[in-house]
Amino acid sequence: MLDQIVFYSLAILTLSSALAVVLHRNTVHSSLFLGLSLAAVAGLYASLGADFLFGAQIMVYVSGIAVLVMFVVMLLGRASDLHLRQVNERWMAALLVCAVASVGLFKVARLHSATIATGVASPSTHNIGRLFLSDWILPFELISLVLLAALLGAVFFTRTENAR
Amino acid sequence: MTAPLTLSHYMIVAGLLFLIGFFGALTRRNIIGILMSIELMFNAANINLAAFDRFLHPGGVTGQALALFVMTVAAAEIVVGLALLLAIYRGTNTVYAEDFNLLKG
Repeated sequence: MLDQIVFYSLAILTLSSALAVVLHRNTVHSSLFLGLSLAAVAGLYASLGADFLFGAQIMVYVSGIAVLVMFVVMLLGRASDLHLRQVNERWMAALLVCAVASVGLFKVARLHSATIATGVASPSTHNIGRLFLSDWILPFELISLVLLAALLGAVFFTRTENAR
Repeated sequence: MTAPLTLSHYMIVAGLLFLIGFFGALTRRNIIGILMSIELMFNAANINLAAFDRFLHPGGVTGQALALFVMTVAAAEIVVGLALLLAIYRGTNTVYAEDFNLLKG
């Protein structure tokens, strides 16, 4: 019973704040709702027993990406933008595409309507660490290279000409 | 409401989150809004990966490890995306995607 309460409340929080991200006219509010939605997704990870993913989600998304987006919104925002339309004129076509995609997604989801969780969720941090440093050592090192490239790219793109 | 949670519950939540993000990426005019919608889509994929681990491979961590990779790539993507946006804003003084016609010549 507790499982269901936790799942449904987190799911409703995730989806309603995601809708607010997409539909809100004010981008600052949008980015705040993004933080809320990502935190609720972290709660969903916790309900799945993915403890390391829960921590990483809070650290990387809620306190990293959401705050970064908020900084940029406030750096670029203008008060006059609040009166402008934030949705382009092709939203009907987009809604149609989403409706068609939803049919396929729900067909796939219905295949697993009898799959229930077996056993108890166990802590996974230890096993993830073992996996990263044994079998997956090459992708693990490659992803740190990707992060380094992103860091350099961000510095390269944001520097001004006269600061060289 | 009291029926046991199945994998399809999580897949439907992830699917709805993906569709919301997809709709936002297609319709937002503000490029920051598009980037935020893309983050929502990444998260939908991650929920699915974690749920597959819990329901189909109890005790396995491969899905969670993949979700961590997705998270890292998403972080790199948003950093480079926002840096590019700042650079473009400096030249064009706009954040709306339809005004980005620098490559038109």
